[in-house]
Amino acid sequence: MLPEDLKYTKTHEWARLDAGANVVTMGITDFAAEQLGDIVFLELPKPGAQVMKETPLGVIESVKVAVDLYAPVTGEVAEFNAPLADNLETLGRDPYGQGWMVKIKVADAGALSGLLSPEEYRKYIESEASR
Amino acid sequence: MSELRKTVLHGRHVALGAKMVEFAGWEMPIQYPTGIVTEHLKTRRFAGLFDVSHMGRFVFRGSGALAFLQHALTNNAAALEVEQAQYTIIPNDKGGAIDDAYLYRFVDGEYLLVVNAGNRKKDWDHFQAMRAALGQVEIRDESEIMAMISLQGPLSKSILSNVLESGTLPEPKRNALGIVEIAGSRVLLARTGYTGEPLCFELFVDCEAAGPLWDLLVAQGAAPVGLGARDTLRLEAGLPLYGHELGVDPEGREIPIFACPLAKTAVSFSPLKEDFVGRAALLRQNEEFKEFLLQDDAPRSVLPRVIRPFAMVERSIARAGAKVLSADGRRGDYVTSGTMVPYWKTAGEKLATRFTDEVGMRAIGLALVDSRLRVGQPIRVEVRGCTAEAVLVPFHLRSEAPPYARPVLHDSLEAKRPAAPAAPTLDKVQRLLDMAAENTVWRQRECLNLIPSEMTTSPLVRLLSVMDPAFRYAEHKQVRAFYNAEIFYYQGTDFIEEVERMLEDELRTYLGCTQVETRVISGQMANTAVFSALVDCASQIDRTAEPRRLRQVLNHPILHGGHLSAQPMGALRDYIARDPKTERPAVVHFPTMSSNPYRTDVAACGELLERTRPALIIFGKSMVLHPEPVREIRALVDRLGLRAVLMYDMAHVLGLVGPHFQEPFRDGADVVTGSTHKTFFGTQRGVVAMNSRPEDARWPLWEAVRRRTFPGSVSNHHLGTLLGLLMAAHEMNHFRDAYQTQVLGNAKALAAALRRAGMNVAGDPALGYTQTHQVLVEVDYAKGPEVARRLEESNIIVNYQATANEEGFTAAGALRLGVAEMTRFGMREADFEPVAEMMADVVLRGRSVQDLVKAFRQKFLGMTFCFTGKEIETRIEQLHRLI
Repeated sequence: MLPEDLKYTKTHEWARLDAGANVVTMGITDFAAEQLGDIVFLELPKPGAQVMKETPLGVIESVKVAVDLYAPVTGEVAEFNAPLADNLETLGRDPYGQGWMVKIKVADAGALSGLLSPEEYRKYIESEASR
Repeated sequence: MSELRKTVLHGRHVALGAKMVEFAGWEMPIQYPTGIVTEHLKTRRFAGLFDVSHMGRFVFRGSGALAFLQHALTNNAAALEVEQAQYTIIPNDKGGAIDDAYLYRFVDGEYLLVVNAGNRKKDWDHFQAMRAALGQVEIRDESEIMAMISLQGPLSKSILSNVLESGTLPEPKRNALGIVEIAGSRVLLARTGYTGEPLCFELFVDCEAAGPLWDLLVAQGAAPVGLGARDTLRLEAGLPLYGHELGVDPEGREIPIFACPLAKTAVSFSPLKEDFVGRAALLRQNEEFKEFLLQDDAPRSVLPRVIRPFAMVERSIARAGAKVLSADGRRGDYVTSGTMVPYWKTAGEKLATRFTDEVGMRAIGLALVDSRLRVGQPIRVEVRGCTAEAVLVPFHLRSEAPPYARPVLHDSLEAKRPAAPAAPTLDKVQRLLDMAAENTVWRQRECLNLIPSEMTTSPLVRLLSVMDPAFRYAEHKQVRAFYNAEIFYYQGTDFIEEVERMLEDELRTYLGCTQVETRVISGQMANTAVFSALVDCASQIDRTAEPRRLRQVLNHPILHGGHLSAQPMGALRDYIARDPKTERPAVVHFPTMSSNPYRTDVAACGELLERTRPALIIFGKSMVLHPEPVREIRALVDRLGLRAVLMYDMAHVLGLVGPHFQEPFRDGADVVTGSTHKTFFGTQRGVVAMNSRPEDARWPLWEAVRRRTFPGSVSNHHLGTLLGLLMAAHEMNHFRDAYQTQVLGNAKALAAALRRAGMNVAGDPALGYTQTHQVLVEVDYAKGPEVARRLEESNIIVNYQATANEEGFTAAGALRLGVAEMTRFGMREADFEPVAEMMADVVLRGRSVQDLVKAFRQKFLGMTFCFTGKEIETRIEQLHRLI
């Protein structure tokens, strides 16, 4: 089930804007978590790191593969979910809640423009699956 | 994915919810809903079930089949007996691998070769091209006629036992095969697999039988495992995978076969193979491989790199293809396989090590690295543009302690030994004295000592063992110039010379023979001296030639009760030739009765003796319930006109020699060896005896035994215990009849009482379970060590014992008990009734009976079957005062 209040990327990240604070929280979708299988390793950027939209900000690895995590927005890392690396099963259980990964400080409230709506992302993964 | 091939079990994978992927042209399950990590863990802890029907299966038949396989594969196919398998490699001319494979010989006249799915066509074409030249071999691709299922993990054996309808599991050795019936179908069953599990099976069945078989195994609790965990399991086991560790590297260069350490057992240069594909190149690799094993750092031209396991030290995962950087900046090393694998964390230590429910993860891999790098050497691995620290390790997993494959972590390769606390010397002295006294009180007054290889000596024997000659030397040797008198090299030895002569006399009388050598200081040394004498004797004709080792030996294998001192892994090692066919030590084993694995199948020995014509036949076991068929084998040997030496290692039963048990020389033994402290009353020493006179054909062997004892084995022959042994021999000759009758009666009484108490006593009930001092009790599979430890906590001292069906001592499911020592402390038949009840309380009901045992033992503190009385008491006091 895709939360309706989030925006999504074609690289299977989700993003939520806390408008008051100009902070975007991001993580990966349950579709991505399921595709990866057993997630065994996670590397996230430290606070202060500058990240740029659509470029890698970290790595997530399963037994079989390593894939990059892409920043959904440009900004500065404000916080990362430190306990997550030792509780990776959270990503399968609660990817949109406790499974959040990074909070990114953004310049303005329009940062999420251009990302996919839940409906657009749903269509996108359906077309991916049938390829 | 419609064009992909499907195995006969495809529908079941889909129904189980597996994630199906393309693999080598097949649609296969990469994982089931539980996921790779869980599947890996379930295999290591319980049992995993794998559909490996996608692999290629070729059957070779015809008169030229063996010659073909010898030419086309690296291993020595001629070494395979029926019901044996071997790992092998399909080489090319350059010494690289076309594929790796497993060769099975289930029946005579047919070989089954299992190859990788992705190489099936390539291998087939390669064999066909070769067949044109070699002829007389029929090769059939039966990959789609039969299915192949792999069942791996600690529960695999009990799962199969539960579903077996006829036949028996292959003997508990890796690569053993058998044919059984399960679910109404004929199953070719192999103790093989590619997970590192010590309990492992692969099953070959007709396709139509595969589905029901799979369902049955799943219903028995085997967890379906996909290709994902199959890969992590083999990686953790350090096993090569074609395309990663074998074949060509990413730049298209051939990986030499000897870069894989497994090549050591997979490549044979046996003359029986003649000139096989790639032989010249492999010989060159082998030369450099030897340098690698010897850690010789000479530059290597054909084996510059080898496959090594490594573990990540920094938190990071190295993947296949990642560059490995060594300190000297050398380039070209890379990771061949790498990922993160799970493992069960353990608690406890040594034999009590157990898996907890906690899971750990570790990043490990295999890498093709400079062959001069050493284990323990730090390396750096490139991960996403950065480098991370890793270390070369000797292995990731050990399979030698069944029923589990056990993870070995890079940061704890050696168990930590607690350091002795620092203390002033005098404190250490006090502590040592306290400990020695406590231990003596515990074992002598508070425990039931039921280890069959142990005996407490009488006070007189003990005292004599520490009297003066204990500190002396008395080397001596017969010299022909003095009419073969024993000439001593030191002065002050008249006393010990007389003691030794008296001891020989007593033991000659006891054993019923003419010659006794008493200078060997252990039973194992006695055997070594005889083996050495046999080689020495055979080499006497030509002292310039290389000594010729024993060409064929018949003995009892360890799992059937044979002792180390009669095995190539023990005392026989340096004296046994290699069988040119099997390239293994030339040992054959006594067959046992299917109705009673503790008895030798004499009827089957005739054919065996005729076929193998052994130079030496070794009777005697350390798990022994019956006399040995010496008389019967002597008759067979004589009838066949064999020159075999019949040696009876009586270590365990030396104290039972006589009409109540067995008279070895009367039965026809040539040589008797033994240790003097198990059922015999002595100090811890050995003995060699022969019934031979100077005019006999065996006399040169006796002379060689003397030479190989001194100077061959001992210089100082421990004169204190020699003196003690003389007193023990007097005791034995004096009390022999009463003692032996009592020991044998007590053993039967203990066996019967244990049975009544609900324990599972091994052996033939019609014979009272045992005809020796030993009793064998079966507890649950692999529970022996744990049960023995619990008994020790209740002051009942026994040892755990693996039976003929178990894979090794850590899987031991039995206890071995002996009554000799407690018989000497005065226990009689009726006394074993409460012993059995106390044992059953501990074993079956989990109670502690320590206090009961201590109280019970108070009735049996005095030594019997030894000289007593006022006069003796006085002498004991006198000896005490002299110390």
